[in-house]
Amino acid sequence: MSAELDALINIVVNGKIKEATDATQKCLDAGIEAKTIIFEGLSKAMAIVGEKYAAKQYFLPQVLLSANTLYKGLDLALPLLKGKGGSKGSVVIGVVEGDVHDIGKNIVKAMLTGLGLTVIDMGKDVPIKDLIGKAKDTKSQILAESTLMTPTLEGMKETVKVLKEEGLNAKIKLMIGGGATSQEFATQIGADGWSYDAVEATKVAQKFLGI
Amino acid sequence: MSMTPRERVLAAMRKEKLDRPPVAVFTQSATIGQMEALGVFWPEAHSNPKAMAKLGAGQADILGFEAVRAPFCLTAEAERLSCKVDPGKQDRTPMLKSHPFKFDPMMSEYDEPNLMSPEEFLSEGRPAAALEGIKLLKEQKGKEYAVVAGNTGPFTLAGHLVSTENLVFGIMMAPEEVTKWVKAVNPICKAYTQALADAGADVIQMSEPSASTDLLSPDMFDEFAGKYVKDSLAPVKDAFSVLHICGNTTPIINNMIGTKVSGLSIEEKVDPKEAVKIVKKRVALVGNVGCVNPLLMGTAEDCFKHAKVCREAGFDVVAPGCGLSALTKNENLIALVKAIKG
Repeated sequence: MSAELDALINIVVNGKIKEATDATQKCLDAGIEAKTIIFEGLSKAMAIVGEKYAAKQYFLPQVLLSANTLYKGLDLALPLLKGKGGSKGSVVIGVVEGDVHDIGKNIVKAMLTGLGLTVIDMGKDVPIKDLIGKAKDTKSQILAESTLMTPTLEGMKETVKVLKEEGLNAKIKLMIGGGATSQEFATQIGADGWSYDAVEATKVAQKFLGI
Repeated sequence: MSMTPRERVLAAMRKEKLDRPPVAVFTQSATIGQMEALGVFWPEAHSNPKAMAKLGAGQADILGFEAVRAPFCLTAEAERLSCKVDPGKQDRTPMLKSHPFKFDPMMSEYDEPNLMSPEEFLSEGRPAAALEGIKLLKEQKGKEYAVVAGNTGPFTLAGHLVSTENLVFGIMMAPEEVTKWVKAVNPICKAYTQALADAGADVIQMSEPSASTDLLSPDMFDEFAGKYVKDSLAPVKDAFSVLHICGNTTPIINNMIGTKVSGLSIEEKVDPKEAVKIVKKRVALVGNVGCVNPLLMGTAEDCFKHAKVCREAGFDVVAPGCGLSALTKNENLIALVKAIKG
């Protein structure tokens, strides 16, 4: 591991947002490939942030700061990766229709992006058919749905039904999360995976993709 | 000992020893089952005081709970302060569609919190409708049942106005701007709390979901939420004050008690026995039968059992741990009531 990459990891973990662009540029100037910067630098940094969150050393404000620092690095590194087959998989993510609480979804997006996946963010209050349609059109392997509220749990149930009806359940894995969900609920509706937080979400996605 | 449901709930709020705890919904209480039985529906009941009072009494009239409660969402205050709101449907609570004020920690651009006065806030819109709804509930049901009124906490309301994600991010980037906004909304929260009590509410249950441990550390809770709840909820005159926070609040129960409220409402992610042990009768404890499991997804038998667990753990008021999904079945709620009332 190079000193430049270590410095970048340190900057993302500590949320030194103003230094992120320079540090990423320094890595590129030192001849480190974009792929390495993302998969061995930024990805590792977000994993450390995740561990700190799980250990209650970090709370949401620190995670948001690191996530925004990560995006500064990705802004430089990601365009260089395009077309080189660098992505390890594709995920469509969104908050189901009827709910606008999207902070958790945004954190999961940051973690999955940090993992080197292509993440297609459909935003919040998204109809189930749009989420499934997008996953189908983009040949994504994973559909990730979130909701904080209880009324909107129905949408997740509906997703499982539609995926089965359209014969997509073998091709697209459904992972769910958010305040109102639980492992028990995921099992009850037949979702492929559930995660309590964004750290676990990366593990679920890795398991689905075999990476 | 013959007590009215109202006397029982108020005695429980005073932490008196009772032959059994009361069973009541202190969080969002309306369900499709009640709406159909009463012929009043969402979204009308969010803004029409008569419909609100009728539906607010549904938990007692239709299901046998021992309190009445209104309103049914956390968007009334934000809407009055100029957030756009989608009124929702019969089975879906209203939701915020915009955060009208700029609060951008990345660009360091922050609007000044120039908000209307508390007097103006209370005079119109859905806060005024809720005050009228509580007045009607008090007139119609207040002799027999405790009237619970719900409102929104200052950190959560500030988040509604500027976007919660931006507000939380602001804690790292510009904490003084976060403080400025919470400070600015707090006099409105305080005036609304007292106005609800003056309208006849026996209990004010303030929900502060954005201050949950999923978002803030215990220290951040004290600095950006607790300090203000202490001013806008706890000192309320002629009513009990209950602070509701979602998620696993175990690490902040002591901080919540530190706001000097008279009761805490917590959800099922907190172990009931552990909660009772930490609280040690310092405040009344309300909860914490799971809203998704068992109430929404489980059987009546599951609900019955879960209610017994809360009672045996020593909760002062046995209640759902969070707002009910409108799709929760009557039979599950009746089982919860039966487990406590017999």
